Amino acid sequence: MSDNDEAPIGGHSRRAVLKTGGFAATLVATGGVLGTAVGEGAGAAPPAPATEVTLDVNGRTHRLTVETRVTLLETVRERLGLTGTKKGCDRGECGACTVLVDGRRVKSCLTLAVMEDGREITTVEGLARGEELHPVQEAFIRRDAFQCGFCTPGQIMSAVACIDEGHTGSDDEIREWMSGNLCRCSCYPNIVDAVRDAARERA
Amino acid sequence: MSRIVGRPVPRVEGHAKVTGAAEFTADVHVPGALHGVMVLSTVARGRITRLETRQAERSAGVAAVMTHRNMPRLTVPEPHLLVKRFLPLQDTEIHHSGQPVALVLAETLEQAQHAATLVRVSYDTQPVRTVFEDAMDDAWIPPPEEEPGETPVPNELTRGDPEGALARADLRVDVTYTTPIHHHNPIEPSATTAVWRGRKVTVYDASQGVTAAQESIAQALDLPVGHVRVISRYLGGGFGCKTPWPHTVLTAAAAREVDRPVKLVLSRSDSYSLHGHRSQAHQRLRLGARRDGTLTAIDHVTTQQVSRTEDEFLPSASVPTRRLYACDNLSLAQRAVRLDLPTPAWMRSPEVMPAHGLECALDELAYAADMDPIELRLRNHTATDPETGEPFPSKHLKECYRRGATAFGWSERNPRPGSMRDGRIRIGWGMATAAHSAGGMPGAAARVTLSTEGTAQVQVATQDIGTGTYTVMSQMAAHVLGLPLDDVDFVLGDTNLPYASLSASSATVPAVGSAVNRTCTKARQKLIGLAVADPRSPLHDLPADGITAEEGTLYQTSRPERRDSIRAVLTRHGRPLDVATEAPEESGEQYSTGAVFAEVRVDPLLGQVRVTRMLGAFDPGRVLNRRTIRSQVIGGFIWAVGFTLTEHTLLDTRYGRFVNRNLSGYLIPVNADIPDIQALFIDQPDPTSQALGARGFGETPMCGMTAAIANAVHHATGRRIRDLPLTQDKLIASAS
Ligand code: FES
Ligand code: FES
Repeated sequence: MSDNDEAPIGGHSRRAVLKTGGFAATLVATGGVLGTAVGEGAGAAPPAPATEVTLDVNGRTHRLTVETRVTLLETVRERLGLTGTKKGCDRGECGACTVLVDGRRVKSCLTLAVMEDGREITTVEGLARGEELHPVQEAFIRRDAFQCGFCTPGQIMSAVACIDEGHTGSDDEIREWMSGNLCRCSCYPNIVDAVRDAARERA
Repeated sequence: MSRIVGRPVPRVEGHAKVTGAAEFTADVHVPGALHGVMVLSTVARGRITRLETRQAERSAGVAAVMTHRNMPRLTVPEPHLLVKRFLPLQDTEIHHSGQPVALVLAETLEQAQHAATLVRVSYDTQPVRTVFEDAMDDAWIPPPEEEPGETPVPNELTRGDPEGALARADLRVDVTYTTPIHHHNPIEPSATTAVWRGRKVTVYDASQGVTAAQESIAQALDLPVGHVRVISRYLGGGFGCKTPWPHTVLTAAAAREVDRPVKLVLSRSDSYSLHGHRSQAHQRLRLGARRDGTLTAIDHVTTQQVSRTEDEFLPSASVPTRRLYACDNLSLAQRAVRLDLPTPAWMRSPEVMPAHGLECALDELAYAADMDPIELRLRNHTATDPETGEPFPSKHLKECYRRGATAFGWSERNPRPGSMRDGRIRIGWGMATAAHSAGGMPGAAARVTLSTEGTAQVQVATQDIGTGTYTVMSQMAAHVLGLPLDDVDFVLGDTNLPYASLSASSATVPAVGSAVNRTCTKARQKLIGLAVADPRSPLHDLPADGITAEEGTLYQTSRPERRDSIRAVLTRHGRPLDVATEAPEESGEQYSTGAVFAEVRVDPLLGQVRVTRMLGAFDPGRVLNRRTIRSQVIGGFIWAVGFTLTEHTLLDTRYGRFVNRNLSGYLIPVNADIPDIQALFIDQPDPTSQALGARGFGETPMCGMTAAIANAVHHATGRRIRDLPLTQDKLIASAS
């Protein structure tokens, strides 16, 4: 299936906004701008180009025009409305934004949509088969592997990949390979239980 | 009554959370919303002399740059709502580094982020005081905080004759413990989206207190409270930082000014100066004891940082010193020092700072008395509350020590420091008492609606911060109403619902739990009343008090075959049954305790500490849900690992600026840091609890575990490091 998604955002389509020009090529990864301490000279940077990308997300093909500075994370959340993927830091530290790109786990805040042109993306919304949850999702509920649930989509995507990679040989191995996903509610022991359960089920 | 309470049911909102369907604040799609990005001050004290926004305003997609020049004048909400005593973007004054000086609003986040880099600010700066130790000589004791509906906490207290008792004591411990600045760092950053319709505003806010957020916005913008609706259905943690802070108010005000919805999601970096922190703290403890370990005197002086803009806000109260042990001679002072830093906040288990000092100092006393640390604590156990002189209504702490010690294998411990080894690795076992107060906050209201289909909706304007409010309150409602769990829908996170206060101070069970119990009990009585008054019911004319409600059925308790279904009763009634109760002024103060144990392995060459076992035995009153309560223990223990070993916010004292404002420099524990955790519960109902025997408990486990870990490090190495966190550099330095 293919749909040409050019939904207006904020009352203006991105394309219309783009025509106004005046973009900087600098990718400002964090919003916390400390006055004049950063961004010197950014105003002089050349306009950011926009480009057409094709993303296969959860089995659906989307053709989009995106600014080259836009992350994969912003693209799935803001353009495709797939808000299951979370932003916890926007700089690769927390793992809340983890998605699968061609089956590999990737922190979607650390990659630009244009870099993933033509690839297959799986987000947390794409795991269940209809009403039937993925075994990792089932295991997370059964083992109470979340509290607030904010890190959970990232933990689950990471767990799916961790199991695929075969990094579930022991609890210590699971701990190590699940350490790129922070959980401040601190559900780690239950996450290990859930990943171990789901890995066994698959074996 | 059905046995739904106590069952370890999985979280009722689990499906939504594992599929990505749970809509957190930043996920709410509001068409036409502008994206906001803050520009923060780079200096800690002074005045803005020049603020150049033209270039930013001309940048593509920018709708407005809000500054003190174009923001409307706002009223600072009352202190019980907003602990920070000023609102930014109101004048040129700078009170701390990282204070907002502009809010850029643009069509897309990227446009706003870029434009924010184009704002130019110059300052006239004043000298700053940012070094805690330098301010110690000016520490003072603030008057107690008065908050509506809350028990005021004295900052100064003397019982008996502590100085005399110290002078006469056989054994004395005189120690100083220090703890650094901590940041909450929930994985969900604070977020607000404000949407105006005429003179009314709906605010989606990542809030651990929707009613407090509502009142703050109303006061700040001078609106009737009823014109503000705040919604927070899913909350990605809070830990104390999602009470009202200025960014929520500013977002609502900015949206009104530009006449567009505005969405502001704080960046991780912003979050370090926009909603508080756990203050750096210093504490001196002097203990006096008889040779047999009986405490004869405690003198505990804590000192915490406040900012230049508030006076009386000391979040870490020395409750354990006042309430945990029997001691006739006590003096206690809670002091403040003023620095040019942001306002502090409550942070998970605020009593952990004094608890850490006290429980480590007791370990030191145990060594001085040559006593087992559990023995020492048993010797000083108190069955009466030293605060009131009344017996604790239900306290099973002695049983916690016994069960915890047995499960941990404590009797195998060789008390001599450094005596337990595995090759070059030193093994240490430490323990402590865990305790935290709960509740003492305003009570909650609730509404129950039983439909003609026999299902119930229960409404309270509380929050599920991750502790399991949705699940546990659904269980309580089902239990009391006599319905299957699936027939109960618990709704929260919206100020249109009946009042509740903050999700804080472990108050949800005492406040909201009591409200759900009270209201559902009333609804059940009405329901039974309908049945016995109905000639078509098999229960017609039976005495109401002889009827039990369970799993969707009403039956005569003495003859269970005489029954009617709840659904049938309501269907015949032909219209929904609606019951509401008002909020009591206070939710009642409780105290939950436990005994906690830790094992560490220390590599003396690397100074590296690994926690290899954590175990706790707790008395939370009745256990409502073993699964969610266990997760509270795990969470608290892991926070204790961070508190003791890794977490500290570093300060550039020249600029009063936090430097590790991220998650790679501020080290919260990761999965590989955490071993297996064991949690045991006494599970005895507290007869004074109005929440089916359960007490507030969520903040208890962290208190105690920090000291258990530090005591274990001492046991492993023989080194007593009294300055947290116990980082490798300190362990190596102390080893040489
Ligand atoms: S949001 Fe991508 S790693 Fe934190
Ligand atoms: S469940 Fe809350 S951060 Fe992981």
